[in-house]
Amino acid sequence: MAVGKKEISCPPSAEGTGLSDADISQKNVTYFEDHPNLAYSWTAGQAMSRFLNELKNGKLIATKCEKCRRVIFPPRIYCELCYKPIDDWVYIKDTGVVQTFSISFIDPDAKPLEKPVIVAVITIDGASPNMGIMHIIDEVEPEKVYIGMRVKAVWRPESERKGTITDIKYWKPLEG
Amino acid sequence: MIDKIVDPEKLRHFPPGGGKIELYWLYTSGKAGNEFFRKLREGKFIAARCKKCGRRYFPPRIFCEFDFSETEFFEISGEGCVEAFTIAKLDLNENPMEEIIALIKLEGTDGRILHLIGEAKDVCIGMKVKPVLKKVDEMTGTISDIKYFKPV
Amino acid sequence: MEVEVIKGLKFHKKQDVAIVGAGMTAFKRRMLETGKELSYYAVKQALEEAGLDIKDVEMVVLGSAPDAFDGISLKEEYLLEGAGGCDRPYMRYFVGGGTAVFAPIAGYWHVASGLADVCLVVCEEKMSCCQPHPQSAFKYIWDPILDRPLKPNLIWIFALEMRRYMHVNNVKHEDIALVSVKNKANALDHPCSHVAGKITVEDVLNSEPMALPVRRLDVSPPSDGAAALVMVAPHIARQLTDDPVWVTGVGWNLDTTHWTNRDLYFPRYTAEAARMAYRMAHITDPRKQIDVAEPYDPFDYKELHHMEGLGLAKKGEAPILTKEGVTARDGDLPVCPSGGLLGVGNPISAAMGVKVCEIYWQLAYRAGKRQVAKEVTTGICQAWGDLMQIGTVMVMSNKR
Repeated sequence: MAVGKKEISCPPSAEGTGLSDADISQKNVTYFEDHPNLAYSWTAGQAMSRFLNELKNGKLIATKCEKCRRVIFPPRIYCELCYKPIDDWVYIKDTGVVQTFSISFIDPDAKPLEKPVIVAVITIDGASPNMGIMHIIDEVEPEKVYIGMRVKAVWRPESERKGTITDIKYWKPLEG
Repeated sequence: MIDKIVDPEKLRHFPPGGGKIELYWLYTSGKAGNEFFRKLREGKFIAARCKKCGRRYFPPRIFCEFDFSETEFFEISGEGCVEAFTIAKLDLNENPMEEIIALIKLEGTDGRILHLIGEAKDVCIGMKVKPVLKKVDEMTGTISDIKYFKPV
Repeated sequence: MEVEVIKGLKFHKKQDVAIVGAGMTAFKRRMLETGKELSYYAVKQALEEAGLDIKDVEMVVLGSAPDAFDGISLKEEYLLEGAGGCDRPYMRYFVGGGTAVFAPIAGYWHVASGLADVCLVVCEEKMSCCQPHPQSAFKYIWDPILDRPLKPNLIWIFALEMRRYMHVNNVKHEDIALVSVKNKANALDHPCSHVAGKITVEDVLNSEPMALPVRRLDVSPPSDGAAALVMVAPHIARQLTDDPVWVTGVGWNLDTTHWTNRDLYFPRYTAEAARMAYRMAHITDPRKQIDVAEPYDPFDYKELHHMEGLGLAKKGEAPILTKEGVTARDGDLPVCPSGGLLGVGNPISAAMGVKVCEIYWQLAYRAGKRQVAKEVTTGICQAWGDLMQIGTVMVMSNKR
């Protein structure tokens, strides 16, 4: 089978033809642009449905596993470590601690944002350590945010709540 | 064990009205495709022949998928014959329409192309067809530069 | 293929696995070639280096990231003929960015199990198809209930992880930026590179902010590209070459998808994957026993993060090693001598070209200008992916 090893002194040989944006905009090469019309509806499931319904009431809810004694948040109907159904629902507070944060200058399509947004992972008071969610922080200068900062949820007025994660407008510093 | 939500009103979906996928795509036609559409502008059809096994690919490609050997482009007439066809009565959204869609084997090649049949009262397997191209200034470098195939 | 017959049943014997050829295309922002054509270029090179013909290939493994980039559902079926999969067993493997090392791990199973004596591994990505921006595809990897309404950009998680890493280990951004400086300079010697350059730490720190602390030059660019690898059984390797490179250990591991429930400062998944690979490769002291490393570096802090996960540095020690020049190409532990994703480009799964292929070339002493100064016996490469939760590790050696 072997046809004899050839000597290639310094692989690889870098084949491929690069195109610039102008090649596309000026149609120097042919291409096809497709705008498909797809829509999806994602089910929230048992745990998340309850969680979202509780958001309407202005409350955060977690689940509890009696075996590993963890208060699990975001809630799920199983404990993935013990691999068993969870035992109970527990309300937790709407305050927490900034675990890490970033100041984002770009939107999901990598386009610049008009006003930078502060995003953080916040561990929630009343849940087990490291049980956090990602959310937005506001009412504070970006330079003043720090890891370990205590924050509190700012809720939308009850009439505006829709049972989505954005029923919490953002989180703001607890002190000051 | 916790109680399950059984009331469908309380089971949630996101987003409430359904979420649109906001992506779209730009596909380059590649080395062989680019050459094909360029020649099509001149009203010419090309196919590709494997330099090793002689298999004649249509649409053309730069390599033979069986020997991984290079190919060379050669000109063909663009005429072919219908190998199979279907008459589509519904469009993607199930609205009524009528179009004849055929699998056409190109003369002088081992390849086939899926395209529309136009200017035909009747269609049958084995029918000889030839391409009808758009006007050069209407061409976009895509497969719809061929309007349809019509009976010879 | 060695077959043992026990009580009338045939069993394929487990066999060692050698790498005898590799290839990759240029990495570029956007390429004229289709994904099939790119795969063909890479495979042709790999077969040429191995001295094999496509007809000798028994099975093909394809690695490719989400269909959303190329914009083709069933991408594996689309890429089939370019990857040389016609008329033979062919299968796609996919764990996000981790595919870059996971696809070769799958290739390893094919040969080690005795099912194939010659297996071709192909990785392809054409990210430029995705509009308005390749990053837009990442919108749909976020949890639709918890995260997506916040309009996140994927860079966010990396920024959050980088901040946590810097905070816990007390690392400064300028120390992390050194990685970007090193890799982009290393990539000047890589013929496939599209973002190589001589830059300074100040350039990184003053580049455009994306999601602080992440700035433009902390990040690898999305690219088009393909890479290929030929893996063979020992009796084939013997016929082809006097100095094959052997796969001595493989490992992979996943942490929870609830990434907000993890402490992000340390990549536990990488540590566990490395532990699996080290046990197999009989490595007890990675810092001493490993000569050259290609950890996954889509961001500059990630190289440091992963070095610590792989046990090549203690927690918080990787920036110090970088500062002291230990990880330079002429250092004691060269890291990303190819230029990595930061320097060469980041076509998700096709990053195999600068990870697995590069370690192969280094251990086979075929890396040309990129060859590290020290003598090398054992190398490691690693990738990371899914929702930043998988570690995939491969250990290779030029001694069996």
